[in-house]
Amino acid sequence: MLLSYLKIAWKVLLRRRFFTFISLFGISFTLMILLVVYAFYDHTVGPHAPEKKIDRLLFINRMQVTYKEGGQNNGTASYSFLERYVRPLRTPQLISISTYFGSTAAYVGNQKLDVDLKYTDGQFWQVLDFDFLEGRPYTIREVKEAAHVAVINERTSREYFGAVRGVVGRTLETDRVRYRIIGVVKDVPGMRFNSYADMWVPISTGSSDAKDPSYFGNCLAILLARMPAEVPQVEAEFQRVMAHVPVPDPKEQERVNAHASPILPSLVRWFNNNSGPDDGVGALLSKVLALTLLFMLLPALNLVNVNVSRILERSSEIGVRKAFGATTGTLVRQFLVENVFLTMLGGLLGLALAGLILQLIDSSGLIPYSTLTLNWRIFAGGLLLSLVFGVLSGVYPAYKMSKLNAVQALKAR
Amino acid sequence: MIRHLFTLIWNRKRANFLLIAEIFFAFVVLFVLGSLLVDNYRKYTAPLGFTYDHVWMVDLDPNGQPVGKQDANFTRLIQHLRAMPGVRNVERTRSNTPFSFSDSQTELEVGGKATSTDIYYVGDDMHNVLGLQLAEGRWFDRRDEAATRQPVVITPETRRVLFANGPAVGKVLHTSDEELLVVGVLATPFRGRGEFQEIAPAIFHRSIALVSPTDSVNFDRPKLLIRVQPTATAELEQRLNKEITAVTGGWKSTVATLDEERTVRMKFALTPMVGMMLVCGFLIVNVALGLFGVLWYNINQRRAEIGLRRAIGATGSAISGQFLGEVMVVTTFGLVLGLAVAAQFPLLGVMSIRPPVYLVAMLLATVLIYVLTALCALYPSRLAAGILPAVALREE
Repeated sequence: MLLSYLKIAWKVLLRRRFFTFISLFGISFTLMILLVVYAFYDHTVGPHAPEKKIDRLLFINRMQVTYKEGGQNNGTASYSFLERYVRPLRTPQLISISTYFGSTAAYVGNQKLDVDLKYTDGQFWQVLDFDFLEGRPYTIREVKEAAHVAVINERTSREYFGAVRGVVGRTLETDRVRYRIIGVVKDVPGMRFNSYADMWVPISTGSSDAKDPSYFGNCLAILLARMPAEVPQVEAEFQRVMAHVPVPDPKEQERVNAHASPILPSLVRWFNNNSGPDDGVGALLSKVLALTLLFMLLPALNLVNVNVSRILERSSEIGVRKAFGATTGTLVRQFLVENVFLTMLGGLLGLALAGLILQLIDSSGLIPYSTLTLNWRIFAGGLLLSLVFGVLSGVYPAYKMSKLNAVQALKAR
Repeated sequence: MIRHLFTLIWNRKRANFLLIAEIFFAFVVLFVLGSLLVDNYRKYTAPLGFTYDHVWMVDLDPNGQPVGKQDANFTRLIQHLRAMPGVRNVERTRSNTPFSFSDSQTELEVGGKATSTDIYYVGDDMHNVLGLQLAEGRWFDRRDEAATRQPVVITPETRRVLFANGPAVGKVLHTSDEELLVVGVLATPFRGRGEFQEIAPAIFHRSIALVSPTDSVNFDRPKLLIRVQPTATAELEQRLNKEITAVTGGWKSTVATLDEERTVRMKFALTPMVGMMLVCGFLIVNVALGLFGVLWYNINQRRAEIGLRRAIGATGSAISGQFLGEVMVVTTFGLVLGLAVAAQFPLLGVMSIRPPVYLVAMLLATVLIYVLTALCALYPSRLAAGILPAVALREE
């Protein structure tokens, strides 16, 4: 039955090529745009190197001090604060503290090379999974001894040494400090700003001071839960610790807020500059959903329009089928199957187009070190979207078709 | 004739409902995009207020040096850099340098009028570094060292908001914690956030010490703007970095040109705009194709009617005129609905854009939609005009 529906659908598609083209164009471009947006989303919060264990990772990257008379200070946490209140947490398996990357200048001859430098502890390399092209990460011991060793990314290696291989053991000087290279890793996308840098060095070689009384600084902590299900326990433990953190100035300040949260909530908090109890993910998702539906509305309307025309063209066929006893349900089902088939076809086209566009964005260098690629998550997303789109644009024409009066439809011929 | 067309469409409103809905949404999309584009174009073409060629920005990090020593070091550093070959002007500033993603604002009040304004803390030579032009008064200088009220230079917009057409130079402005004396008015607006910033009040405050005598907790990172010789290269940058480390005893420095900063800022502003334009462009092409298909199909459906009209003496151009007219009427129905929605934007202040921009966008979107539907209807109505009455009626 399904096969014969598909056969009919195929024949109908071939009959009016121009209409088929309009339908496929609309569907494939709509899905392409949605897939590209989804690929960006996946690129930002999906499991990609080095944040491969993303479902077990939590980030502490915002700090807020509220005042009694209203007003607040927002910023990032200091090294000393994280050492004092995050390092002793018991529920996470591993805890890493690092600074945010900062721009430094290295010189190759007279040419300046911007090197984004990030100071990390030794646990950083266990919490995250970098793809090493060569060499190894530095150890917790090397960090304790403040060894001047560094891990660099592919680009820096290529631009500073002119090669990606065989640079281990050589020295790189940036901002007038010399480091011995012990490892080279693949480039990390700039959008992953919690782990991104061009060069990673032990935090003990920088100016981070574990005795600094200030709560604000430029550090973040990355926590690794033992298993995905334990993430809420880690969040809860950190909240219990935060409840007892004293404010720096008890006369004027009220409390200190910070949250350990998975990647998406931590990003949303970051962009909204929000340290309140609600992470704002729900509000964002409903907004995105509304926008997506609004965006799909116009192409869907268009498809409905075209479909209605095509159905009227087939009124004699429908009349005959009705006259031979086909029920309304059968006809509606048939038309929905046809339409979903059409949108799936458009979906496949859209997937191919999206792949093309993503490659174009990657090669244009619009986003530093972006590696936007199609993967099975995006593919599944595409299929789901095609289905939604197919049903959305097929229901009204199918309803209209089922209302067609058999006698009149046949008489019109 | 037109009345007749309206009646025709009105009678078939159920059948035309989908077309009207499509045109309505297409109009709203074009209107919203148009408002944004027109608004951004208006901003882009307004004067920037300063020149950024051959200006470098130096971000300094005292690297943990005690706050008390920083001011003296900073002043000494500026004197040293001014003497360097290849350097024209050097002046101190705060974190809100041009094109940076940092801004600083304050509330101003004078004679019952108040406004929020951007505030830039800059040194005495900044008008030369940024090529600022004065319309009235003077820029601040050493003479203001002992002044009881801190001197400020304001932009024409600040002047318009606070003084309307009255004199501004010599007037005293109040912020929450100090009194400021207006010593000059610039000739152009100053838009430190780049070409896509709205023209808004701004003032230049004579730079004060990094550590304010009244506030021992908050202090700013030292920053410099340097106008270099047009021939300057990375070699000068390297010398600058060396000089800075040597003079200050270990400060870190990062040099960037304002041109680079501007490119980053532009990328941030333009990328979403280009993305939106591409998406909207696709939506419009999609609508156009759909419209074309539906009209073509409708005309094929009405061959008998056309044949009959031709048989009783209607000319080809009368037929194509009728179809074109019908499409225009359908479009008008959609547009009236769309305009009713668009009118809510300025009334409710949805996108914080000035009302004239909305009007231009409405006009543009209306014209564009009419042109688009006319183009889509042209070919099908030409086809309709070519129908031979004998053939069409025989089919019947």
